[in-house]
Amino acid sequence: MYTSIPVRLIGKFAATFALLITILIPATAQQLNGKVVDRTTNTPLIGASAVWKGTTKGVSTDASGSFTLQSADATTPHIVVSYLGYKPDTVDVSGKTTVTVALSPTSSIQEVVVEGQQTRYSALTPTNSQVITNRDLEKSACCNLAESFETNASVEVTTTDAVSGAKQIQMLGLDGSYTLLTTDNVPALRGLSTPYRLNYLSGTYIESIDIIKGMGSVLNGYESISGQVNVKLRDPEKTERLYLNLYGNSLAKFDANLNVSAQVSPKWSTLLMLHSDHLGNRVDRNKDGFMDLALGTHHNVYNKWKYKHGDTWVSEFGVNALRETKLGGQMDYEKGEPVGPEQHYGTESETERLSFYNKTSYTFPGRPYQSLGFITSGVHHKFNSLYGRRNYNGEQNTGDLRFIFQSIIGHTGHTYKVGASFLYDDYTERLEQNRLARTERVPGIFAEYIFNNSENLTIVAGARTDFHNLYGTVFTPRLNVKYDLTPNTIFRVAAGKGFRVANPISENTASLVSAREFTFREELEPEKAWNLGGSFTQYFELGGRPGAFITDYYYTMFQNQVVADMYSNAHQISFYNLQGRSFSRSFQAELQYEVLKGFDVKTAYKYFDVQTTYNGELQQRPMIPQHRFFVNLGFATPFDKWRADLTTQYFGKMPLAYAEGHSGAANARSSDRFYTLNGQVSRAFKRWEVYVGGENLLNYRQPDAILGASDPFGPAFDASMVWGPITGRVIYAGMRFKIE
Amino acid sequence: MKSLQNLGVALLVFFTTLSVQAQNGNEKTIQIKTSAVCDMCKKSLEKAMAYEKGVKSSTLDVDSKMLTVTFDSKKTNEDKIKKAVNDTGYDADDKPATPRAYNKLDDCCRKEAGAH
Repeated sequence: MYTSIPVRLIGKFAATFALLITILIPATAQQLNGKVVDRTTNTPLIGASAVWKGTTKGVSTDASGSFTLQSADATTPHIVVSYLGYKPDTVDVSGKTTVTVALSPTSSIQEVVVEGQQTRYSALTPTNSQVITNRDLEKSACCNLAESFETNASVEVTTTDAVSGAKQIQMLGLDGSYTLLTTDNVPALRGLSTPYRLNYLSGTYIESIDIIKGMGSVLNGYESISGQVNVKLRDPEKTERLYLNLYGNSLAKFDANLNVSAQVSPKWSTLLMLHSDHLGNRVDRNKDGFMDLALGTHHNVYNKWKYKHGDTWVSEFGVNALRETKLGGQMDYEKGEPVGPEQHYGTESETERLSFYNKTSYTFPGRPYQSLGFITSGVHHKFNSLYGRRNYNGEQNTGDLRFIFQSIIGHTGHTYKVGASFLYDDYTERLEQNRLARTERVPGIFAEYIFNNSENLTIVAGARTDFHNLYGTVFTPRLNVKYDLTPNTIFRVAAGKGFRVANPISENTASLVSAREFTFREELEPEKAWNLGGSFTQYFELGGRPGAFITDYYYTMFQNQVVADMYSNAHQISFYNLQGRSFSRSFQAELQYEVLKGFDVKTAYKYFDVQTTYNGELQQRPMIPQHRFFVNLGFATPFDKWRADLTTQYFGKMPLAYAEGHSGAANARSSDRFYTLNGQVSRAFKRWEVYVGGENLLNYRQPDAILGASDPFGPAFDASMVWGPITGRVIYAGMRFKIE
Repeated sequence: MKSLQNLGVALLVFFTTLSVQAQNGNEKTIQIKTSAVCDMCKKSLEKAMAYEKGVKSSTLDVDSKMLTVTFDSKKTNEDKIKKAVNDTGYDADDKPATPRAYNKLDDCCRKEAGAH
C-alpha cells in the first residue's frame, strides 16, 4: 500500500535533479529567433512580448518585430506571445530555431494580464502592480472587500472605531481616502461612501484585484495620492452560469451570495449578482457594556450587461443598488430611544445607494491599436445616521463623463492617449445644526504618452488640466518609468501629483463615536500632495521553483492637507489647513517563494514614518505602527483539491493621541505590540467547495477599546482610539457551489 | 494554542490517509482523441478529470491530442468520461464538445487556433 509513495518521491527527485543539470550546464549559445506580425496585414508588431511559457524570461520585439530568446531559459518548448490589442498566443517551438508568430486583433481594449499562479507581481506593467487573483480571494473569509486584502502585504486593513467595527484600507501608511478605488477602471465609491465602502462590494462580485502602489495613470482623474485599487468585476461572458456562496460565523453573522449569468443572444450576455448579509446577535466579549460589532442588514444587487459586435464595438452596462441598516452601541440600546437621563448610548444608520456605469469602446477596423472609448457613470448616495445624540445625514449625487482616444505615432513604440472629462459632484451634509454643501463642476483634458524602446525601457508620461469651478485650474503631471536591467531584474520609478477635496466629517466618522466636538477653524482648502517612489523587483528560480524579491520606497509630501487634530484638545477634533510639514515615508521588502511543490511562502517587512504638523508641532500620526511583519503560508494539493492558508501579522508600537484632559490607565501614550493569526482550510469537489477558517485565532483584543465606556454621555467618552482587534477569535464556515 | 496543535495533528492524519489509496482490480485505462491544442488545454482537461468521480489519473499528450485516463470501472465508465471531456469544451473521439463550454474556452484553446 505504501510502496507507491517512495517510488513517486524518487521520480520527483530524479526530475528535480535532471532540471538542475539542465540549469547548471552552460547554454551552448542556443537561441530562438522569431518575428511577430499582424495576421491580416503581415506588418511587424513592435514592442510585442515573447516569454517562455511558465517562466518570467521574456523579451520585447524590436523595430522590425524580431526577438531572440535563449533556449537555456526554457522550461517547456512553448513561448507565449502577447501584444496590446491582439489575442495572446502560445506557440510550440520544439526543435525550431526560427519562428514567425502571426497575431489576430482582439475586439476589446484590455490590459495584458499574464496568467500564472505565482506571478503576483506583474513583470510587464510600468507601475508597481500586484494582482490578487480569484484563487487568492478564495483564501480568506468571503463576502467583503476588506477581507480580500488579508493575504496581501501591500494594503493594510484597519478598524475605524470600536462601535461600528467598520474596516478601512491604508496604503503607504495613509488613510484609505487617499487611495483611488475603481471598479473595471471606473472610479467608484468615492466621497461620502468612503468610510464604509469596503462593505459595499461583495467578494463574490470580484474576478480579481489590481493594486498599484504610488502614482498611476492620469486617465482616472486627479484624486489618487497613495495608489490605486482596481477591482475587476466578474465578466458576464466568462463567469459561471450559477455561483452560490453561503457563509456563517461564530458571532452568528450570515452571508448569502448568488450569481447567475446567461448568454442572452450572440451579442448580449448578462450577469446578475446578489448579496445579503445579516448580523442580529448582540455580542460583548470584552465586557465593556458595548456591542463589539454593530448589528446590521445589508442587501446588494449588481446587474451587468455586455454587448459585443464583431471586433469593433464592445459595450458594458452596470447597475448597482444597495440598502444597509446598522445599529450599534450599548448592549441594551434599542432603536429610537428618546433623549433623557435613562437613555442608552447607541448608533444607527441607514444607507441607500444607486449607481450605474457604461463603458463603450470602438476599435478602428484594421487598426487594432487605434480606438475610441466613452465612459459614463452616475451615483446617488444617501444616508441618515445617529451617533449618541448627534445626527449626521448626507447626500451625494455624482456624474462622470470621459472620452479617450488611443493611437500610435508612426509605429507601436510610441502610443498615446488623449481625452476629455467632466465631473459633477454635489454634496450635502448636515451634522447637528451645521450644514455643509458644495457643488463641483470640473471639466478637464488629459494626455498620456507611452514610449517603449521594445527592449527594456518603458516611459509613461501623462498630464491633465482640470478647470475646477471652486478651486480654479488644477494641473496634474505624472510619470512612470520601467527599466529592465535583465528580464528578471526590474526597476521602476513613479512620480506625480495628486489633488482631492476632503470630506472631513465622513472621513472621520470614528470621532463621531466620542464626546469630541467637531470644530472647523477656517475655510478648508483642497488637499495637494506629491508622491515620489520606486521599486526593485528580482525574479529568481531556485531548485526549479519560482520566487520573487520586491522592495519599494515611497515618499509622499503634502502641500496642503486637511488636518484632523485630536492632539491639541481632548474634547475636540479640529479641522484646519496644514501649516508646516506633513509627509509619509514607507518602505517595504517582500520575498515570495514556492518552498516545496504546492507550498508557497510570502514574507514582508514594512516600515512607516508618517508625520503631520499638529498645532505647530510635527508629530507622528496616531495609530500607525512603525514596524510590521507579515508572513503568509499557502499550501495546495494538485488541482487545488485541498488548500490551506495561514497568515500572521506583527504590529509594532503605535503612538496614540494622548490627551491631558483624560485620566486613568486607559489614556496611554502608545499601543501594545501584538500579533494576529488568520487561517483557512478548503476542500474542492467537482461542483462545490467547503471552507472552514478563523480570524484572529490568537484571540488578541485591544484592552479598553472604548475610553470612558461607563459614562458614554460624559466628557471622557471616546471609541475612536482603535488600533487593534475588537472582536476576539471568530470561527467561520461556508460553502461555494458552481455550475460552469 | 493547544487546540491549534490538535488541529494540525488532525489535518496531518487526514492528509496521510488521503494519499494512501486503496488498490483494487477494477482499474481500467482508456485513450481518447481530443481537440485540445495547447498546454493551457492540457491543464484545464487534466484538472477537470481530477474532479471526475472514479478517475484515478489522467495525462494529455498535446502533440497527439491523446488523453489517457485511468479510472475505477465500478464508479464510472467510458461514456461518462467522454461526457466530462465534452463539458470541458473539447471533442472526445467522435463526440463533439458541448457548445456552451466550447464558447467559454480561452482563444488559444479553440480548435480554429490550430495546433500550436
